[in-house]
Amino acid sequence: MTAVFSGIKVSAFLAWKSIQRGSRGTLALTIMIIALIFVNLVFLPSIISGVVVTFDAQSIDFDVGNLVIEPREGSRYIDDADSLQKKVEQIPGITGTSPRITAGATFFYRGRNAASTLYGITPEDERSVTRIAEYMTAGEFLSNGDTDSIIIGATLAGMEGEEEGGLPSLQGVEVGDSVEVAYPNGLARTYRVKGIFETQSFGVDTAAFVTTREMSEVLGLDNQASAILVKTAVNGREEEYKREILSYGVQEDVLTFREKSGGFVEQAIQSFNIINAISTLVSLIIAIVVVFIVIFINTVNRRRQIGILKAIGIDQQIIINSYVLQVLFITAVGALAGIGLNAAVTTYLTAYPLVFPGGPVYPDVEASAILRSIASLFAVSVVAGYIPAWRIAREDILTAIRG
Amino acid sequence: MIVAENLTRVYTMGRVEVRALAGVSLEVAKGEFVGIMGASGSGKSTLLHILGLLDRPTSGRVTIDGTDVLALSDHRRTLFRLNRLGYVFQDYALIGELTALENVYLTSLVRGASKTEYLERSTDILRRVGLGDRMDHRQSELSGGEQQRVAIARALVNNPSILLADEPCANLDSQTSKSILDLFARLNEELDQTIVMVSHEDWHKEYFCRIVTLRDGLIGEMVECRKEPHPGGGA
Repeated sequence: MTAVFSGIKVSAFLAWKSIQRGSRGTLALTIMIIALIFVNLVFLPSIISGVVVTFDAQSIDFDVGNLVIEPREGSRYIDDADSLQKKVEQIPGITGTSPRITAGATFFYRGRNAASTLYGITPEDERSVTRIAEYMTAGEFLSNGDTDSIIIGATLAGMEGEEEGGLPSLQGVEVGDSVEVAYPNGLARTYRVKGIFETQSFGVDTAAFVTTREMSEVLGLDNQASAILVKTAVNGREEEYKREILSYGVQEDVLTFREKSGGFVEQAIQSFNIINAISTLVSLIIAIVVVFIVIFINTVNRRRQIGILKAIGIDQQIIINSYVLQVLFITAVGALAGIGLNAAVTTYLTAYPLVFPGGPVYPDVEASAILRSIASLFAVSVVAGYIPAWRIAREDILTAIRG
Repeated sequence: MIVAENLTRVYTMGRVEVRALAGVSLEVAKGEFVGIMGASGSGKSTLLHILGLLDRPTSGRVTIDGTDVLALSDHRRTLFRLNRLGYVFQDYALIGELTALENVYLTSLVRGASKTEYLERSTDILRRVGLGDRMDHRQSELSGGEQQRVAIARALVNNPSILLADEPCANLDSQTSKSILDLFARLNEELDQTIVMVSHEDWHKEYFCRIVTLRDGLIGEMVECRKEPHPGGGA
């Protein structure tokens, strides 16, 4: 035990002297490369995680809530929507529900037209589930009693003279303007634009909303809904709530917001993960190559010194360990510098976020990603440092001394 | 005590076999100062490398203080070098990144000595070789003679039973060489230190108790030369 401790002490002594009195430039450059590799290992997963967080938030806050109840197979609408709504609202942990009627519609405005989705909502219920009411850029959100008003998404409202690149756009609708809406049953209504909202969620900003009361009357529906959006007290436990709702005897289809997205987010995550795996692999290969080259050159340059150390009675393993400790030091300082660098990048991107179609994406740095990156950096560095040191240290003493 | 029996060492260089030692038998008693001399290529350094456990003979046997050192594993041989042998190289072989003091105490550190113990011992030995004021200097800041003194101090720090020196004065001027040899003589006479030294300088003969001359890998001559303490030894 004493011999092992002495051996580690000597390895640490030799490693520290080498770091202290070796080339400062090479040391700084190696640390910098390790730091950049660390940033690369952490940065991409943090952006991917940020994208997922953004997509999830957009879905929950503006699109479908945490869960959505849809008509059972073969039915177009949920019948007796009020009763179902009341039943679901009784379930502990459910904080809001909002029945919606959905229809494709054509919008007409000053000779221009655009086809998009029109939703019928109960404004007060909608406020308890989605946050669209908080994102009005002009005018006001709907009230329960409104029958001649409509609110329109910013993309659908459009800007005067600006095409929306293939997206439905009426090019310049403003609050107070009149918009004619042609329903799928052939009826048409003219509404006054009460408000314009902008959520940055593509599917929401191209849509428009009227009250359920108005839409039910036009479509001839009575206490029916295309879907009931459900808001839960806690995000991330949708599967549990789904089981809970089903256990209350709900016969309709209950989908989590992820399931509703039709696997789009899962597919996106899978694709991002493949990109991330490739990027991680490349980063780790670069780390291996850099550490290997640095230690290889270091050991080749000190081949004679290694021979001398062995000749005066220093065990081969102590010599190898001294190089491994140097690598551990370089990796530790590199990882620390990387954490600092990553914090700077994260701070910058939090102030100036990347803008994706789903909205601004903030880097979401997870502690597990940092720990994983540190662990993988250490693992590859130790291996990459050990091999060249072992190769030179096992050489015959006289061959090593003669260089 | 060293007992070498019928040592041979054959190097293969491509298709050519070079016989550096062709059957050398030698005994070195405790407290002897033996000089191994001979022309270049006679096998002096090869013999010293084998006695210093830096190389293995092609055949033969070496016993040091009763231990068959050729039968030891690599790890045991390393420990034997650390604990029982001191080796001085022709070109000093110091670790450039370490100071004189660090070079000397490095092997004591491996042996697990306490800080007080190894600092005291290393400082003392450096003072004894005349480097009391050069302890914190690195190799590049020391003269050739000073570097060789550091190497000698390093070889002696663990009280080795045998000190092996491979042409330690080859790169030094005659004045410095003399001071190094005086130091060896003093160690031999005052501490009864066993020393085996390779040299090709005739004037070194006066320091040795016994001279072994090699010729073509064989012992050509063995001469007992010094009976009285050498004047440089200070005894």
